[in-house]
Order: sequence, then structure tokens, then C-alpha cells
Amino acid sequence: MSFLRAFKYRRKDTVVHRLDPRSKFLLSVVLMMVSIMFADIRVLLVLISGQLILLFLAKSLGEWFSSLRGLVFFFAVIFITQLLFGGTFYTGIVLSLRLVALSSSMSWFFLSSTPEDIGRAMSVAGLPIELTFSFTMAIRFIPVIYDEFQSIYDTQRSRGLELEKGGFRDRIRNLMPILIPLLVGTIRRTYEIADAMEVRAFGASPKRTTYKPLKLKSGDYIVCIASAILVVSALALKMVYGVE
Amino acid sequence: MVKIAVENLYFRYPEAAGFALRNVSFRIEEGESVAILGENGAGKTTLAKNLNGLLKPTEGSVKIDGVDTRSLSVAKIARKIGFVNHNPEHQFFAEKVEDEIRFGLRNFGFPEETIDKIIQEVLSVFGLEEYRGKNPFQLSGGEKKRLAIASIMAWRPEALIVDEPTIGMDYAQKMNIRRVLRRIVSEGRCVIVITHDVDFAATICERAIILSRGEVIGDGRLRELLSDDELVEKASLRKPFIIELEEETGLTGLEEDFDILSSILMEVFQKCRS
Ligand SMILES: Nc1ncnc2c1ncn2[C@@H]1O[C@H](COP(=O)(O)OP(=O)(O)OP(=O)(O)O)[C@@H](O)[C@H]1O
Ligand SMILES: [Mg+2]
Repeated sequence: MSFLRAFKYRRKDTVVHRLDPRSKFLLSVVLMMVSIMFADIRVLLVLISGQLILLFLAKSLGEWFSSLRGLVFFFAVIFITQLLFGGTFYTGIVLSLRLVALSSSMSWFFLSSTPEDIGRAMSVAGLPIELTFSFTMAIRFIPVIYDEFQSIYDTQRSRGLELEKGGFRDRIRNLMPILIPLLVGTIRRTYEIADAMEVRAFGASPKRTTYKPLKLKSGDYIVCIASAILVVSALALKMVYGVE
Repeated sequence: MVKIAVENLYFRYPEAAGFALRNVSFRIEEGESVAILGENGAGKTTLAKNLNGLLKPTEGSVKIDGVDTRSLSVAKIARKIGFVNHNPEHQFFAEKVEDEIRFGLRNFGFPEETIDKIIQEVLSVFGLEEYRGKNPFQLSGGEKKRLAIASIMAWRPEALIVDEPTIGMDYAQKMNIRRVLRRIVSEGRCVIVITHDVDFAATICERAIILSRGEVIGDGRLRELLSDDELVEKASLRKPFIIELEEETGLTGLEEDFDILSSILMEVFQKCRS
């Protein structure tokens, strides 16, 4: 779970947080692409350093470091499978670095953009409102459902439920007292939200206006230009200089 | 019977900036009836969860019969100290009311033959006999709350902590819950009621612990504490009606006859109107 902490939005006032979600998304996708393109340790290290600068500007290095601890498990899996299936220590390092680069490409974006911002960027990009709305709702309700899970778990534990007890089948059966109240609550909430949206005329008019229209500022142009430069230099490194 | 000792308890939620409980100390002796009062966010629920081991102190200690909760499992503590969550829907999962009561009894390893007998008894004590085969989710709010308390009292814990027992409940349902809780007190069991409802608390509890912003600002006899205007205001509370009435009339011991009293008042009120 601690790994997910690197993807949770924190309200902060930084240059990165103020950027337009669309330009952030562009750079994030480009960074992801570049992390997959290269298997050269030097390139990956440069890429990660660049991402660290972004995270530093977003004042979010702390969250990133705590998420690294959550990644340790995946590193172990990578190394074990590499060594078992004919890889080398070197490929293990490359794959681990790639994992770090990939997850940081997304983490600075999610850390610095509100779910609403992401949803707005999606609908500006032409996705239907039903889809973007469900997406932002899903993200916003994760903490709510998590709290509810915690409360249900506590309640059942106070009734003598012990999840760790028994064999495999007992353990599965022991999950029922937690899953059923959680599901019932979630389904019920779904209906309530649907009603609440309907009484506020969601979907009544095909043309929606935005409360806060998105606008590109000078910082966003810099980000876009930087993304373009990044793509061009990555392609050049790969094709012209033949870097792996 | 159980004794609870809280010593210099500090509690902080992981990731939270400040402490939710600060330097809380008190003892609860066997058979005491205690109201935990305080404004929204004062730390009442957090304190309750520390008392039954769901949360462990960040600093300081909570001891149940002299044993630190850190060294006890939640199930072990729950056998002695029952805890009723403020939202009964967080505990229902069985198809039938009776199975909801069966759950705890099975968890604590009661023999099957006695379980049926206990269920029968508990259903009748809590006035839930007619709902025996019904789905718990289809009960009314008050019935749900009673079932939640019943499903915990079934294994006869020595102490019971109830979080917000009267929330969203009409007068008749409240009186039902009150009757149930008073019965538990009269059996010599310890009852800890967390509530904002001072009238409700005043007719059940002898003692009150008043929390404000994570600190104990009052601990003593409920009637004395709630007669202190300054304290009452500080904890966003109100003086219970029964105390006001006693102050006005000069009578004492009214809470013993609260039911009679309220029906007399009702009659007087109706007479006046007609
Ligand atoms: N799971 C949690 N994580 C972080 N902080 C929490 C959590 N639960 C409660 N808190 C905080 O701890 C403080 C005490 O909360 P608590 O729920 O104990 O208050 P309460 O007295 O029960 O309030 P209420 O009357 O509203 O139920 C509050 O400031 C609350 O925001
Ligand atoms: Mg509470």
C-alpha cells in the first residue's frame, strides 16, 4: 500500500502543481515512452535524475522516497526471476531502474494534479463526460472506501473475527464478514450518488460548460517544448547513435 | 469483573500531524457506568478504540485487568470488552438476524448446543424475537442498533462500549436502547456510552469523562460536571433537561423515574393544549 502513496494527490503550491494537466500529461507520457525505449543504464540514470528534479520542484521528494520502499518487493521479484530464467545481475539492475523510471513518470503527474484536473484534461481531449466523470469519481472515492473498509474490519475484529486464523478455506470464508458490508455500502452509495446527480440535472443538456476553463500558460509551453526536445533526442540517441 | 486503567495515553494516527489524544489518564472500576462526552472530533471514538485494543497507544498505556493492551489480541480483549460501532451496517453480513448473533458466539468457541439457547434468550431480552428470520439490513434504525448491541452482549462481555447509540433515533427507539443499557448496568457490568445526547447520558451514567481536542477536561460525577456551565460550554454540550428540572424544582433523584416523569409532563402538556 505504501507504494501507492507516491500517486496520491497532495495539495501544494508549486510550479509543477500550477501547470496545466494537459501539458503535464504529455510530458508524463513522453517520459514513460523513453523509460521503455532504453536499456542503457546511463540513459535511465539521466532520466531518473530529470524526474527527481521535477519531483523536487513539486516538493514531493519525500513521498517518492517512501514509495521506493514499497517497490523493494518488486525489485526482489525482478532479480529472482532474472536469475532463475537466464538473465544476469546487470539485466536485473536495468529492469529495476526502468521500473523506477516508469513509476516516477506517472507519480509526479498524479502527485501534482487533482482528480478534477485530470478529468477535465480528459474531457478537453474529447473523451465523453460519462467516462471522465466515472474516472474522477473512482479516484475520489478510493479513500472513502478505504476508511469504510477500516471501520468494518475494526467492527468485525471486535466481534472476535481473526483473519490470520485457520487454513486457506477458513481465511477465504473469514473475508465474507468484511466484504459483504463493504459491498452493500458501496452499492447503496452508488444509487444515492446517481440520485443526487440526477436531481442536479446531470446529463440533462448535451452541451456542458466548464466552471474553470483550462488555459495554457508560459510554463506549459516550456513543458511542451521540453517534451518535444526529449522525444527528438531520444529518437536521435536510438537511431543515430545506436544506444540500446 | 473488568478494570480499565489508562495512563498518560497519547495517540497519533499514522500520517496525522498532531495527536488525537493527549495525556489521557483515568481508571474505570468494575460495574461503573461512564459517559464519554465531547465535541465532534474531540477524540471519543479514538479513545474507545484504544480501550478495546483496536488502536494501540502511541505513548503511555492502557491496561485491562493489569495487562497492557499491546500484549493482547483484539479478540482476547473483545471477549471482555464489547465495542459497538456507531454504524450498525458496518457489521451486518448474515442473511438472518439470528445468524448475526451466532457469529460472535462461534468466533469465541461457544458449543453449538448452548448457542441456540443464548440466541433465544438474547432475542427476547432485546425485543427482537419477531425479527429472528429477517434480513438485518431490512430492520429499522433502532432495531439495527439493538441487534448490533445484542450480537455483542450475546457472549456476555464484562464491559460494553457503545459509540453514538442514539444517533438518528426517534424517542421510542431511544427509550428502548436506554432500557437495554440500564439493564446491562443493573447486572453489574460496566457500560461506557459515547454520545452527544446529554439527556440520554444523564439517565444512564453515573460518571462522565469530558474530552475536548483530545484532552480530558472533566472527569467525575456526571451531574456535577454537567452543572458546570463553563465546562458544558467548552465541550459544546448542553445541560441535561433532568438537571435543569431538578434545579428549578428543588427535587432530586428524578432520573430514577424518568419514564414516569416524561409521561406526566406529556399529559400536562396535552391538557394545557386542549
Ligand atoms: N483514521 C483516521 N486517520 C487520521 N485521523 C483521524 C482518523 N480518525 C479520526 N481522526 C482524527 O482524530 C480526531 C478525533 O477523531 P474521533 O473520531 O475520535 O472524534 P470523535 O470525538 O469520535 O468525533 P465525533 O463526535 O464526530 O464522532 C479528529 O481530529 C479526526 O479528524
Ligand atoms: Mg466518533
